[in-house]
Amino acid sequence: MFLAIREMKYAKLRYTLIGLIMVLVAWLVLFVTGLANGLASDNAAVIQKMDADYFVLQEEADNRLNRSELSAGQVDAIGGEPFGVRMMTIEHTGKVDVTVFSMNPESEIMPRIVEGKSGVVADQSLQMTIGDQFTDSITREVMTVTGLTEGQSFSHTPAIFVTEGPVSAVAVQSKSIHVDGVELLTKKEALQSIPGYKEEQGSLMMMIVFLFMIAAIVLAVFFYVMTIQKMHQFGVLKAIGTHSIYLARTIIYQVIIISIVSLLISVALVYGIAFVLPVDLPFYLTPSLTAGTSLLFLAVSVLGSLLSLYKVTKVDALDAMGGSF
Amino acid sequence: MGAKLILDHVNKSFGDTNTLNDISFEVKAGEFVAVVGPSGSGKSTFLSIAGALLTPSSGRVLVGGEDLSYLSEKERHRIRLEKIGFIFQTSNLIPYLTVRDQLLLIAELSGEQTAGEKKADELLEQLGLSHRTGHYPEKLSGGERQRVAIARAWMNDPDILLADEPTASLDLKRGRDVVEMIADGVKRRNKAAIMVTHDERMLDVCDRIVRIEDGKIR
Repeated sequence: MFLAIREMKYAKLRYTLIGLIMVLVAWLVLFVTGLANGLASDNAAVIQKMDADYFVLQEEADNRLNRSELSAGQVDAIGGEPFGVRMMTIEHTGKVDVTVFSMNPESEIMPRIVEGKSGVVADQSLQMTIGDQFTDSITREVMTVTGLTEGQSFSHTPAIFVTEGPVSAVAVQSKSIHVDGVELLTKKEALQSIPGYKEEQGSLMMMIVFLFMIAAIVLAVFFYVMTIQKMHQFGVLKAIGTHSIYLARTIIYQVIIISIVSLLISVALVYGIAFVLPVDLPFYLTPSLTAGTSLLFLAVSVLGSLLSLYKVTKVDALDAMGGSF
Repeated sequence: MGAKLILDHVNKSFGDTNTLNDISFEVKAGEFVAVVGPSGSGKSTFLSIAGALLTPSSGRVLVGGEDLSYLSEKERHRIRLEKIGFIFQTSNLIPYLTVRDQLLLIAELSGEQTAGEKKADELLEQLGLSHRTGHYPEKLSGGERQRVAIARAWMNDPDILLADEPTASLDLKRGRDVVEMIADGVKRRNKAAIMVTHDERMLDVCDRIVRIEDGKIR
């Protein structure tokens, strides 16, 4: 720490600049992570949160929940908790697309009702209150909201839970199903087959991976160039009795200090920006996701300094001597 | 006190060239020895071997009574830290450490931080640097920098001080001051010092002059 802190204090500008880059990269990493998480939730929250390990769908449904239709006979043979999924456009204050889930309100897959009771349970994001009425824009059927739920959406639309409707799929806990004409999906497979889910998550994940790589490489280059500049100085330090491990530790301390300070600033920035973001932007960052991402960022940064550590161990104390041999 | 440094039949060759040829040499406590010779004569190699920076091809080196021949790289680091003080030609000092921190670094490396502070202040006072303790090397004159290097070299109370052309970048008066300060430290502490130099005007300050030519002591 002795050398690490003093050098950073002395070369403030240099370390501030590299810190600034790290702040921006870390900020972007956290932001894209929050966005990926928010989009995933926006697209699949109902399925993600549903208390089921497997889903049984109609074989011809191409793994798509809203295309699947199961007959009463099949449902009986499968057992488990049946539910229906259909897309609907409703008229409330204006026209809104929603996904209507039909299921037994007593079943385990029914989400928690935060206010009111079962019947017609609308997600809070629809900004309806109990007693509000809305119209199915095709059938002109009028429904009255009886309860509210929280954070439930599917295919980027808010979810509404009703008690009756045709069955699309059955949620089950075990994978031993012997019924003709159906297909068993794991929860993960069911999520992946939601339209757009894979593509969204894949491209955002690629951005995150690239950002991690950029962070590692930027730090690697910075410390490598600094190390090369300081070869003679490291030679002097070694000659007067500094061990390579001490010098390597100095570099690691610096990387850790820069990364932690940058991360703290980035986390503050990202939570600050989350406040001013428009509500309908799907951004969702939990403390554990933030902590996990930050730790990974720290690990990647330290990894980036390995090149310099190798270089430091190769410095010869003889470099300190000015004369020729 | 006996010999602080003993080189016993030391040879050093790089590839086919014999840089040092059967050197036997010893420095006693309280002795300040100058090593002179033309460039390429092997004086830097000689100093590097005495300073545990290089291992001899054959022969023995003893610093403060400890035989360096069989020591590992790690133990040679310890010898350099505890028993040897170095003063290099130029850019001796670490640019981002203040004068006082240059000295405290040695205390930090040997794990004696508390004792180090008192010692550093004493040494800086002895070398007339008390008013410069908070300055960075870039703000110091060449002579002051070498004085800081001397103070740093004495920090761990080494058995022997090794100086490689310490006056190379200084004018006569400042160079002489620096050499006199080394001599003064040697006498005061009853330690030993070796200075490699080609500056003949400094030699009268030294107790003994050793001439190296073609890897041999003349």
